[in-house]
Amino acid sequence: MRVDPEQTLTRPPNSPQRVAATPRVGEDGRVQTTTSSEEGAVQQPQQPQQPQPHSQAQPRTPSATHPHPQPQPAAGPLPAWRATPRPPLVRHRGDKVLAGVAAGLAAHLGLPVGWVRVAFVASSIPFGAGVVVYIFLWATMREEGSAAPVSGMPPAPVAVTAGVISTTGAPLGGAAQGAVGPEPSAAASGDSESSVSPHLHQGIDLAGLRSWLRNSNQAVVLTLLGVAALVAAAALWLGSAGFDVHAEVVVPVVAIVIGAIFFWSQLDDSSPLGGRRPVRWIWLVVGLGFTLLGLVALLVRGTNLTELWQVLGAVLAALVGISVLCAPWILRLWTNLREEQTARIRATERADIAAHLHDSVLQTLALIQRQSTDSATVARLARAQERQLRSYLDDEDSRAGTLGAALTAAMGEVEELQGVPVQLVVTGDRPMDQHLDALVKAVREATWNAVRHASPPVSAYVEVGPDAVEAFVRDHGSGFDLDAVPDDRAGVRESIIGRMERHGGTARIRRRADGTEIELRLPVGDSDTATPPPATTPTSTPAPAPVAASVTDPAPDPTAAPATPAPANTTPTAPPPTSLNEPQEQPS
Amino acid sequence: MTDPRTIRIVIVDDHHMFRTGVRSELTSLAGSAAISSPATFRLQIAGEAGAVESATQVITQEKPDVVLLDVHLPGGDGHGGADVIRACAGVDSQAGVPVRFLALSVSDAAEDVIAVIRAGARGYVTKTISAEELLTAIGRVADGDAVFSPRLAGFVLDAFGAAAGEVAEIDEELDRLTAREREVMRLIARGYQYKEVAKELFISVKTVETHVSSVLRKLQLSSRHELTAWALGRRLL
Repeated sequence: MRVDPEQTLTRPPNSPQRVAATPRVGEDGRVQTTTSSEEGAVQQPQQPQQPQPHSQAQPRTPSATHPHPQPQPAAGPLPAWRATPRPPLVRHRGDKVLAGVAAGLAAHLGLPVGWVRVAFVASSIPFGAGVVVYIFLWATMREEGSAAPVSGMPPAPVAVTAGVISTTGAPLGGAAQGAVGPEPSAAASGDSESSVSPHLHQGIDLAGLRSWLRNSNQAVVLTLLGVAALVAAAALWLGSAGFDVHAEVVVPVVAIVIGAIFFWSQLDDSSPLGGRRPVRWIWLVVGLGFTLLGLVALLVRGTNLTELWQVLGAVLAALVGISVLCAPWILRLWTNLREEQTARIRATERADIAAHLHDSVLQTLALIQRQSTDSATVARLARAQERQLRSYLDDEDSRAGTLGAALTAAMGEVEELQGVPVQLVVTGDRPMDQHLDALVKAVREATWNAVRHASPPVSAYVEVGPDAVEAFVRDHGSGFDLDAVPDDRAGVRESIIGRMERHGGTARIRRRADGTEIELRLPVGDSDTATPPPATTPTSTPAPAPVAASVTDPAPDPTAAPATPAPANTTPTAPPPTSLNEPQEQPS
Repeated sequence: MTDPRTIRIVIVDDHHMFRTGVRSELTSLAGSAAISSPATFRLQIAGEAGAVESATQVITQEKPDVVLLDVHLPGGDGHGGADVIRACAGVDSQAGVPVRFLALSVSDAAEDVIAVIRAGARGYVTKTISAEELLTAIGRVADGDAVFSPRLAGFVLDAFGAAAGEVAEIDEELDRLTAREREVMRLIARGYQYKEVAKELFISVKTVETHVSSVLRKLQLSSRHELTAWALGRRLL
């Protein structure tokens, strides 16, 4: 295990495939490496170290259960990230004795699975370090099937790999601890864990527990291991430097620290805004257990078992008493904190709104007071302020990028520049695209003409249907006279009719007795064959032949107006050719 | 029509300035000898109120024909105008017909619209409406017809899925509009007056009013879930 990190880091990128087919444990229990010479050479230095001293543990690696170690998992994720050659650290489902940890680790590290198993068993025998590492890995490794699909894999394995590299330090620390001070307490704790863990593995699956642990903050786990490794290293160093290291003190203190980290990690998780994430009770329990064990071990040093129970009872009683005494205080503090937080949030919101009102409404009111003689300006200012305030209240930003938002903005612009209110109604909505953008521009142009040359009220109605977007801009003026305003005629022809046609839509102008209505229709959907527009440069394109658009004047003859109330559907040809003003624009 | 009737109204709004403005606008307009054709009635402002409780009291006492009702009002159960409508349910005007409510709001929020309409208001107009239009709307509501602003029409089209092409097969269906109702709503949303709608569809104004009232009834009675979900999740444009 000690050599692993360095070795795996220097492994050639093509080796995992070979590893997948590599490990074979012979019937005699000896590991036979059937790899190429290169692979064997890399692993050669390890071979004498690992299996030999613990050959008596060999029967625990049943070779029969894994006739074909792990070809599939290693081959699966590999092509996805060829740059990093190591297969992901996942527990193997098919090839497992207990939980598939050893098989997964072997595939990950490129070692024969037998060696890993032997190493686990061997390191478990003296002080139970192997068991601890096994449990840790079991808790933190994903099962291969339950892992995220290949696309989701690349980020995760990196973190897991990092975890493993540092965990390889932890077992070292644990073993070193044991080596420095082979005290009864340390051995006892190790034994107790080793006696518990097999039940966990072989009994119920405890999937919930595992997922809890695995979903937990890995940083906390790594911190724990780092603390353990640091303490162990310090103990080792002090021991070698000649100091008298009392392991019976060090080990319980480490346990207490670990317990505290477990406990506090939950505090850290749940503190912002009062428990966004649910507290993981298992972590609290584990932390409490560690702390309790540490305290007991600290107090019970060297005494016998009956006293241990007494001490345990005393510690428990003290803890319970303290918590009972403190509970009201903590509760009170907690409630106060929550109230304070709520108050602060409210104050912030209020300050935001106040700032907004100050910047907008108060400024406008001041302006209005100063210009109160000019009623047009007052109306314009009030209208602009109203629009701005509405968009603030409606949280218009959340609708950004939709047709409705674009229309609202365009109408607002017209109102702002012309000082005439426009009544906009939009039903339905859809995200903007370039064709809809053209529609918005055409609507804007139509509205612009309406507010400039006609009299209010000006209404714009846009209906987003399943296969077309229809827009109607209507004014109540005397109707704009195309002949009298040649510039606008060009504007109408180019900016409205031409623009709509370039995007596969149609435009129609209806003159009514009491106003004009411009109807725009733009088909939407997947089969939109409109050509992309040179719409922004109207001068470069000659006025298009109005094949689909027609300027009609049905008003003088009401019966000529199409009886169908959905004129947009029949736009290209429906209106009777009664165009009196613009005969040259007639299609036929 | 030769004998102009008198419509008595009560103005309920928590802004005193607004009440004064409406009052002066309406009296000057209604006093100026039938300025427009719909003003074939005389208007009498019977009272004013600024909160739910006082409004209820004034309405039960004065028994007006029409109540101009602000959507947002202090007091009551916190539902503003809807509370007033519920509290005054069963109150008849002096003419013996139920008191009618015309919601008049500065808000375009769909939840406000739907709340007050479903509580029983006969119409919904925004406060930016012109005085002539308001007068017309009052007359229409007094006759028991419905008044839809373009925005309310757009809301109806959206909430009933009519904009997406859903149309009822039979008239009695509460959750969808008929094809004709949809056309009427579309024209109203486009800014058409009732008479313009009538002209456009070659029907009488009375038929338009019938269609609008039918839509209003659907709006009040329909259990279409989009109606409430939409009202909660969005605001009128």
